[in-house]
Amino acid sequence: MEAIERPQCVHATGLRKSYGATIALGGVDLDVGAGEVHALLGENGAGKSTLVKILSGIVRPDEGAMTLFGEAYSPQSIRDARRTGVATAFQELSLVPNLSVAQNLLLPRGVKNALGLNSRKRTIEAGAAILEAHGLGRIDPAARIADLPLADKQRIEITRAVNQNPKVLILDEPTASLAEVDWVFDLIRSASDRGTAVLHISHRLDEVRALCERATVLRNGLSVATVDLKGADNAAIFEMMVGHAAQGTSRRGASRSVGDVRLAVEGLSSARLSNVSFSLREGEILGVAALEGQGQSELFRVLAGAEQPTKGRILLNGQPRRFKDTGDALNQGGGVAFVPEERKTDGILPGMSARAHITLSVLDRLAKFLVLTSRAETETAHAAGTAVDFADRYQKFPINALSGGNQQKAILARALATGARTLVLLDPTRGVDVGTKETIYGAIRRFAETGGSVVLYSSELAELVQLSDRCLILYGGAVFDELEGDEIQEHVLVAGVTGHRHEHHPRQSYKEEATA
Amino acid sequence: MATGTGNREPQSFERRADERGSGGFSSETVTTLAIFGLCVLLLLASRFISPAFGSLSHLQTILILSSFLIVAGFGQGMVIMTGGLDLSIASIITLGGVACTTLGHMGSLMAIPLALVICAGVGLVSGFGVAKLRIPPFIMTMAMGVIVYSACLGYTKGSPWGSAPEAAITLMKSDLLGLPLAVYFVVAFALFGWFLQKRTSFGRRVQAVGSNARAAQLAGVRAARVTMLVYAASAASAGLVGVMLAGYADGATLRMGESYLLTSIAAVVIGGSSILGGAGTFLGTVGGAILLTTLGTIIQSLGVDEGWRTIIEGMIIVIALLLLRDQLYTKIRMMTSALPGR
Repeated sequence: MEAIERPQCVHATGLRKSYGATIALGGVDLDVGAGEVHALLGENGAGKSTLVKILSGIVRPDEGAMTLFGEAYSPQSIRDARRTGVATAFQELSLVPNLSVAQNLLLPRGVKNALGLNSRKRTIEAGAAILEAHGLGRIDPAARIADLPLADKQRIEITRAVNQNPKVLILDEPTASLAEVDWVFDLIRSASDRGTAVLHISHRLDEVRALCERATVLRNGLSVATVDLKGADNAAIFEMMVGHAAQGTSRRGASRSVGDVRLAVEGLSSARLSNVSFSLREGEILGVAALEGQGQSELFRVLAGAEQPTKGRILLNGQPRRFKDTGDALNQGGGVAFVPEERKTDGILPGMSARAHITLSVLDRLAKFLVLTSRAETETAHAAGTAVDFADRYQKFPINALSGGNQQKAILARALATGARTLVLLDPTRGVDVGTKETIYGAIRRFAETGGSVVLYSSELAELVQLSDRCLILYGGAVFDELEGDEIQEHVLVAGVTGHRHEHHPRQSYKEEATA
Repeated sequence: MATGTGNREPQSFERRADERGSGGFSSETVTTLAIFGLCVLLLLASRFISPAFGSLSHLQTILILSSFLIVAGFGQGMVIMTGGLDLSIASIITLGGVACTTLGHMGSLMAIPLALVICAGVGLVSGFGVAKLRIPPFIMTMAMGVIVYSACLGYTKGSPWGSAPEAAITLMKSDLLGLPLAVYFVVAFALFGWFLQKRTSFGRRVQAVGSNARAAQLAGVRAARVTMLVYAASAASAGLVGVMLAGYADGATLRMGESYLLTSIAAVVIGGSSILGGAGTFLGTVGGAILLTTLGTIIQSLGVDEGWRTIIEGMIIVIALLLLRDQLYTKIRMMTSALPGR
């Protein structure tokens, strides 16, 4: 801490916040210098989001004091915070879906014309200028936010915060939906060069190391420590976050015995896929590496029956299959179960219990003459929940009352409960804490050990290195390369997803060249 | 395995859930009990207006009168559960009444099922429009309501004929073991509706579609099929109300369903269902229906004119909805701001 000779910018001491009996923050100190990029680390539920909400003026702390450049800081609203120079890019995105990119960038007001009315044309022009200035010239400023892919929404959210030229910039998991992070890093670095204090929240330690000098670690609503990142190794930080040491996160040594081909895909094409072919064996985990928007969402949705390909076919155990919808995919050829990408919009059913989530896909099997018995349901939910370490005491609670990690466990448990022999997992660990990630890895491995087949996309390449037996690289909607065993290295994947064939890589698996 | 949830402090929101434990009443049960408590209070209070109120026979009358709203509220409640709204209920009640009286000569065993099937068919069409053609529910059902009403008007030339099937009259007019048959029917229907909603796979899927249709579809629920069935069930229950009303009044009129459209929505919302879909219980709707009917009888006994009575009833419904809407919004706001993990 002593090494920093920057002027102090954000200073908070003893922040506490309770919601009724719930203590979200139980005493948090934070210290960020001007021009510093400071990391905020912690598992889901550690209090990061509450701290962000307090700093951005959404909630007021019960106790504690904050200063900004030595002056008392107690924002009453987001706009108040923004006036004082604090801008936030939220993880859950605060964009208005029905407004254009330009309108969102200029919120709360658009650009006026001579009559003092909002001018569409000038708003678009101003929006285009902002996009251009932040390296997003390819995004149409007139496009509706709702029509953009998730990654672009996140970029707009970040751009809007950066564009306010704040004294304090808060980025809540800015890279959560972005596979390539250079763009964000450049923005953060140039903001930092201008003297902006940046609070960077991320689950990805390597990113944090690349950007930040110091990190404040939160655990269970308390600030455990502020550490100099150069002096702390990953294991030590992990231990601070979780409260205990990490275990083997390296590549699994011995490969499982792999059986016959279960799933084969031949020449799948659609609007965003071109001629994708591969096969998946029993007991095999097939990783898919790609930057976002390379067709992986479409591919996985097609595999799960949620979308129809325009060309090509899917074979299960050698039999050609056509899935009308996801329910159909669950019932064919041993079953194909899906874990979707966006937990909030595609995964959870607010108000329904975790138990109801886990059993939702198997209601027909559980019900006798349409009647559900509580016992059969509880047993099924318990069995599937146990496989992902989902605590029984949460089974009856509404899913929206649980942490993101537990929500994700419940959704994975639902896929497991179907008994499907093929799992299609689209970024199953997005935005979950380190402990939950380990749990999910374990569940995926155990599933494969019992002969199950897994197709896994992850936005974290390290995850693919850890888990996959083989790994496809998608680029521009086509299979760019295929790696096997020890070839699956992070630097090889990084080269591949950006469209470069790694020089040490001997294999030329597919003739099709990407046409991005 | 690095960790499980068990050896870590549960996150704060979950901690509160842990403290509360899973033994207590759910908020749904509390709402339902509150509604029934309110009914009892209202009945007790009504004794001040007339000594005949609050008696056992008065209670029977109220149950018989609320049976129409309870059955209509069942269908409306299911549609609202999916996030939709059924504005065709009034016309389909008329269709049910007209169909069963014009077919009355065929005998109860033919006339009543046929009337219900016709109504369910109409509902299936509405459901198709909503689920497959993506027409907004209130526009689809409103249009369907106008079409059905006009068809009834054209077919009957304004004056429906025939008499109600024997079974409908028996149901609404006769006694069993000292109690009106309709009272048994109300209790049985309430239990049936609750059971269908909470203890069957269909009821579960209806709630899933209402909570998040997209997520439900990805989990393998056939959302379009469920939605179509819900509109068919709503129309069938509206048709049943038509049959019951025909039995009660021994004949159908074109305007017999009119007063059940707004009140069926009100009964569902007062009964604690979310107007946004995905949450609610039929027993709450039953309570809401009884509450509204009790209020109606009290206002009627005060001797005000028909016009004024309707105005007062309308205002009570609007006020009730306003009160509950505030509660609903507060709840949503609390839930979203109190979640630290979001």
